[in-house]
Amino acid sequence: MAADEYPAMSVAGGRRSGRRMLSWVLALALLAVIGFVVFRDVGAPAPPAVTTVTGVIGSEKLAFFADPRVKDVFTANGLDVRVDPAGSRQIATTVDLDAYDFAFPSSSPAADKLLAAHPAARTYAPFSSPMAVATFAPIVELLTQAGVVAPGTQTFDMRRYLELTSGSTRWDQLPGNTAFPARKNVLLSTTAPCQSNSAAMYLGIASYVANKESVVGDTAAAGAVLPAVSPLFRDQGYLPPSTEVLFEDYLSAGMGRVPMALVYEAQYVAEALSPDPALPQGATLLYPSPTIFSRHTLVPLKPAGDRIGELLTTNPELITLAAQHGFRTPDPRAFSDAVTARGLLQPPTLVDVVEPPSYDNLEGMLTSLGCPA
Amino acid sequence: MRRVLAAAAVLAVLLAGCQSSPSGSTQGPRDPEPGLLRVLAGSELADMAPILDEAAAATGVRVDLQFAGTLDGAETVASGAAAQSYDAVWFSSNRYLALRPKAQAKLATATEIMSSPVVLGLRRSVAQQLGWIGRPVTWSEIAEAAGAERFTYGMTDPSASNSGFSTVVAVATALVGSGAALTVEQAASTEPALRSFFAAQTLAAGSSGFLQDAYVRRAAGTDPGPAVDGLINYESVLLAMNAVGNLPEPLELIRPADGVVTAEYPLTVLAGVPDRVRDEHRKLTEYLRTPDVQRAIMERTHRRPAVPGIPLAAELNSPTTLVELPFPSTAGIVDVLLTSYFDKIRRPSRTVYVLDTSGSMSKDDRIGQLRRSLAGLAGADTSLTGQFRRFRGREEVSLLPFSSAPAPVQTFTIKEDDTGPDRQRVADAAQQLVAGGDTAIYDSLEAAYRLAGEQIRAEPDRFTSIVLMTDGENTSGADLSAFRSYIGTRPPELRGVPVFCILFGESDNAEMAEIAALTGGRTFDARTTSLPEVFKEIRGYV
Repeated sequence: MAADEYPAMSVAGGRRSGRRMLSWVLALALLAVIGFVVFRDVGAPAPPAVTTVTGVIGSEKLAFFADPRVKDVFTANGLDVRVDPAGSRQIATTVDLDAYDFAFPSSSPAADKLLAAHPAARTYAPFSSPMAVATFAPIVELLTQAGVVAPGTQTFDMRRYLELTSGSTRWDQLPGNTAFPARKNVLLSTTAPCQSNSAAMYLGIASYVANKESVVGDTAAAGAVLPAVSPLFRDQGYLPPSTEVLFEDYLSAGMGRVPMALVYEAQYVAEALSPDPALPQGATLLYPSPTIFSRHTLVPLKPAGDRIGELLTTNPELITLAAQHGFRTPDPRAFSDAVTARGLLQPPTLVDVVEPPSYDNLEGMLTSLGCPA
Repeated sequence: MRRVLAAAAVLAVLLAGCQSSPSGSTQGPRDPEPGLLRVLAGSELADMAPILDEAAAATGVRVDLQFAGTLDGAETVASGAAAQSYDAVWFSSNRYLALRPKAQAKLATATEIMSSPVVLGLRRSVAQQLGWIGRPVTWSEIAEAAGAERFTYGMTDPSASNSGFSTVVAVATALVGSGAALTVEQAASTEPALRSFFAAQTLAAGSSGFLQDAYVRRAAGTDPGPAVDGLINYESVLLAMNAVGNLPEPLELIRPADGVVTAEYPLTVLAGVPDRVRDEHRKLTEYLRTPDVQRAIMERTHRRPAVPGIPLAAELNSPTTLVELPFPSTAGIVDVLLTSYFDKIRRPSRTVYVLDTSGSMSKDDRIGQLRRSLAGLAGADTSLTGQFRRFRGREEVSLLPFSSAPAPVQTFTIKEDDTGPDRQRVADAAQQLVAGGDTAIYDSLEAAYRLAGEQIRAEPDRFTSIVLMTDGENTSGADLSAFRSYIGTRPPELRGVPVFCILFGESDNAEMAEIAALTGGRTFDARTTSLPEVFKEIRGYV
């Protein structure tokens, strides 16, 4: 029911293949029940009892939890894991957590906030993903000429980008632009910051740069960066509610709709690693400099939640599967093996990484942007 | 055998357990029939019927589509009424709903199925004359040509239909040309440019279907109104009109280079539905998003696929990159834009209300319903749709009551800036209507046409229409055949004036339908909907 109560966040979870997998899993589960009922009487040995564990998770992890291979590992460990998707901000504040064994928001600030209200002995950070920019080759060319991308690199210079946006530069005002002369501001497409974690992480990056290269640490600093960061969202107008919707628009609608999208690296890598990748022509991934890692942090709410956290961090199969879903694993080998196995270029090791602001400072900035408290 | 029975019994218990699921799924009126998804949808989705039939065969999930306009739909969702009768909504976009927190909270999973931008379709010869074939054309150029009356077009009413609504947003955003989402100040500052753009609109309609029919009939000369050069509508609608092949001249699609607003058709399950419905929604949307079905949607409905990796059909390939315009981010901006469109920007309208006040109107408080209908249009209806369908700034409203003969006419011109006092005067006049006497429909209609003729000669540049409300058959004065010959001989300036007929009480359906057909209007049934709702619906056409 939680997803009903937080509808804005339950938008199109597990859109691409997750749903198909889920129905498969449901069908198999029903067969298992029938089989169990029928065979119990004919004397077959009873399988081990299965414990149901429920969690509320950031929606970009839905495809992972719905993957039948992931389900199999949990089943082999006597667990049936059921998850509801919700926005990380909602998980930290409004979701009724009594119904769940664990919460698995997409960022450490949200996890910190959760911990304050639901103390746990330990938390688990089984994987992470840096914020990245999914774009197109002609756009990279233009950004290179404008000094936002260093020639021949995947580095998207946030300082130079903020200089461009502070002057409300339009694409058709970039000198020599014949590839994409749109009468539209040069702006990263993002999700709605009030609802979606990826936009909140972007706010963390932009506010760091606007705050003279320092994490926003108090109300005064939060207020001071507001004029620089609010147009980044406001000028885009209506924003999609989830990063999955945004990324799909990038994949299917092309350059005119979404010339450059602020997404999780994991989304792009998972698409590249999928059996039938659907990356558009000229698809290119850039990394903001600085960037922020979205650290998916599992907070156990009941003892059963700890078992999920344990398994995710220690079970080699689950670690491999997480890497195949595009997530960076604490041991970098799993991630790099997954990429190498498909003959893809290794994503760069990122060095210009900053921490997100604390939950309260992030929340303060979101409220100033007009998000309902 | 005993064992099998036992197993069956256990299974039955298990299944029974599933039904009363602990998640507290709603039962009763919400959950009438497994395998049936009741969907409130945009009317243009009628073309999805064959695809949905195939979906039912493949997935076991049948879809019952009920149609409503975008704002009507938003209102139904926001008020909670949608939850009473529907499991899901399927409109061209959730953007407008998302701007209203009350409505947004009533939506759960939204899955995009297909998309289509709103563009201009123009008769090929006119597009050629304007030099618009084979090169990028901007909204500013289109607005300039429209202001110079170099072409005419039709579009749907923005309060009734999303294509009209998207047009207003797109044109305003593009004409401001700031590259960012519109602000309230900008929405106000662009009025003069918008006025010249919308001056070329000579055909209006409360629904996309009526608009297309009227366009085709006028092009073919079977409708008394003058032919129109083009339409602003979804790319898919315009391509479908070309595909039917009954246009004397195909429409050339002008996809403005400075940007479009695109409908992305999210099939959206409502919050609080039972798990069964959510599963069926998931099953259906999964099916609709498989590559083969996406290709079938593209081929049959001319819409663009939502899933990546499907090459576009040639007819969808645009010579220039389709740029998406930023959509306003607050309901306030959209409301300012719509209000100024109606009160200040669009061509002002002139409406003659021909109102039956015969003795039978005293039955069942019919006269009271009529008074309330007019009061609603005067501003008493404060609903989302009501506020955009009231009498508008600059509108000329004439009340022509009749019984045994046409009664004296009262004409009101609503002021542009302060519409309230003039609207109040219309409501006060409506309050004075009393029932009594016979029913002289045709004498009164002729009187309405004569009045409209005088008004048009005094001031030609208005949308002029007649609305006829009668609750019975003609019992006095001229008859239908006399009216037929009148219509055949009416002066040229009255040929484009349609009669919109309200079916009410014991009115004669066949005669009303003929009046509508003779004049290029249509009928509206106030016996299945309330009279005030019908009066409001007609506002989309006048």
